[in-house]
Amino acid sequence: MIIELQINNSTSHDARFLGWGPSPCRIRLTNPSGTAGPSVDLQITGKTASGGGRVVFRAGATGVFLETITVTVPTSGGTVPFFASGKFGQASSNNGDVAIEVRAGATVIASVPVMVRIRKNANQLTTAERDRFVGAFAKLNNQGQGRFKDFRDMHVLVSLSQAHGAPGFLPWHRAYLLDLERDLQAIDPSVSLPYWRFDQPAPNVFTRDFFGESDQNGTVQFSATNPLQFWRTDGDLGVIRLPFFPTSTAPPGLLNELQTLALGGSSNTYKLFRQMERNPHGSAHVSFDGSIDDPATAPKDPLFFLLHCNVDRLWAAWQRKFNRFDPAIAASFDTMAASAAGHKLQDTMWPWNGITGGTRPPTAPGGPMSASPTVSAPGPQPRVRDLLDYQGVIGAVSELGFDYDDAPFV
Amino acid sequence: MATKTKTVKKSKAATKLKDAPGGAIGRRVYSIVTNKQKTIQERVAALAQAPLTVSDNEDNLKAVLAVLLNVDEPIEVRMAAMQSLQAASFSVMEFESSRGEYRAALRKVAQDPNPELRQRALGLLARQKDGFAQKKLLEGLHSPEKALVPPEKALQLLSYDVHAAAYKAARTIVDNPPNPTAKSEALRLLAADATASPMFEKVLLDKNEMRENRQISASALHALDPEKMQAVARNIVLDSADYDDIKATSLTALTQFGDNSRLAVDESLRKSVDRMKTEGSEKLQQSAKLFLTKYSE
Repeated sequence: MIIELQINNSTSHDARFLGWGPSPCRIRLTNPSGTAGPSVDLQITGKTASGGGRVVFRAGATGVFLETITVTVPTSGGTVPFFASGKFGQASSNNGDVAIEVRAGATVIASVPVMVRIRKNANQLTTAERDRFVGAFAKLNNQGQGRFKDFRDMHVLVSLSQAHGAPGFLPWHRAYLLDLERDLQAIDPSVSLPYWRFDQPAPNVFTRDFFGESDQNGTVQFSATNPLQFWRTDGDLGVIRLPFFPTSTAPPGLLNELQTLALGGSSNTYKLFRQMERNPHGSAHVSFDGSIDDPATAPKDPLFFLLHCNVDRLWAAWQRKFNRFDPAIAASFDTMAASAAGHKLQDTMWPWNGITGGTRPPTAPGGPMSASPTVSAPGPQPRVRDLLDYQGVIGAVSELGFDYDDAPFV
Repeated sequence: MATKTKTVKKSKAATKLKDAPGGAIGRRVYSIVTNKQKTIQERVAALAQAPLTVSDNEDNLKAVLAVLLNVDEPIEVRMAAMQSLQAASFSVMEFESSRGEYRAALRKVAQDPNPELRQRALGLLARQKDGFAQKKLLEGLHSPEKALVPPEKALQLLSYDVHAAAYKAARTIVDNPPNPTAKSEALRLLAADATASPMFEKVLLDKNEMRENRQISASALHALDPEKMQAVARNIVLDSADYDDIKATSLTALTQFGDNSRLAVDESLRKSVDRMKTEGSEKLQQSAKLFLTKYSE
């Protein structure tokens, strides 16, 4: 008996990644030899390597996820759908550290390695996770001539109005991070963007082996094994960053997570919540003297992306806490009639839409949003509204293909 | 008429503050920020909350700008005022009407008696490619008695909008450095100069040069002439007399950015690296293992 297992409805190795939400899977018999009758009962279960991720399953689109499910598969070759998901709190550390196994009785007839790939707290990454991440990031930068140049050019003076000081701030940056993360995953699929939780101490982030230690002049020093020592943007070598706080502590004066989640006021509206652009977001940026303290130069420092990943995580946490995933609910977004282009729900976002001139910047670097092997959203030219339902809570097709280690599927 | 406009603005802001939790904080914030009877800690803490509302009306902005510009205020409070304004500036569109006044204030503070404040203001201006700041920074390099910041900081800040005059100043400092850090920063700045690769090759191969400068040169050469860097890196790895940290940097360049097809069949290099797995410093062993993982397994 030979079976075919499709993860995210695909046989591609690139699609073998799961988050906390249900991923559509399929099973079918490609060779029924050894079976009798019109169908066969097969058990689907997860097998976890030591310290690896865990996977759970359910047979239908609704219901409880279980460690093992039994599916009845026709011997005619017909396909049977089921759903797999990472078990919340048990993400993978390495690609393939958990497998989906298919058994007929006690016999294992198929085993497909997968990864529960989740955005994690940068301060808590394993050494291997950290090294894979900086390796992929350095390669994306590739001495300032790699694909990272597009990301640098997306966040410059002439384009700041597309993404700041208006309702689209959070959706635009969610798209920006997702595009970058997908490009990192094209280099190393086991990588996901970690977040710098700036309201907690993160001493492991500010080491020479990770995001570097600053010397007295504010030049960041990396270890000889860290490929970020070759980091280059706009022709400039290295990173300029001098923290105003001891890096064994959190920066002072920032709203903490609880305070941030309360910014939406008693009605929990996005209109008020988006004040977080100033504090903690802006305040986190200016807890350093260096490139990261100015909107036009901030992405010159790779730490920018970890800072913004935390900003996005806070938005995700607020969305979850107050059920603000649905663009049809007024409180989920700030639908100001006077919003500039790119800041209304139905607007497509620059630069992915390729629109230049007029109220948009003169060029659109980077082209369309990078595609994902696991999900179809938000599409090549995302609209603001496409970035709200990131887990596919309102509609499974909206799932963007990322999750945070502290935000379960709703 | 001006008073009337101001009253309307205030009234709108008051409504906004009443609605917003940030605004509820805001009403208290500005009375503390401007109150010299309060402790420094209280005023700094109030300024940390100010980004939520500083650009919501003219009075808030003026109050924080006044604190920043007042040389009689404690330095901690003035620094916090600058942080607060800069944090608010991230809301680019909402801050737009305040930007001109803020930049003018930064230019004043760039010449403040306090060196810490001066350096911070010059940094913010340099990142905005401000012509006034660039002129002052270059002036200080040419005439140290006019310098607003140390030469190493001036060179670092000039890298945000580097041009021929800065290259010239940096080359002068490489040849005759006032201190070791200034030389390192001059080398970093010159990493953007396409004509500088022979100089970086020379520094990288000079075993008497400071290790930091050799590492900067490796990064610079890698950027300006990646092919050359790969060849030089290979020679350094094979040189038994070179330092472990420079070898580790060279191995990292080969591992992360090398030509896979060429390196995978380079037997003499692989044999040398194989020995480094167990010999030398921890970082060299680590970089050797990463190289071998990529090219031998």
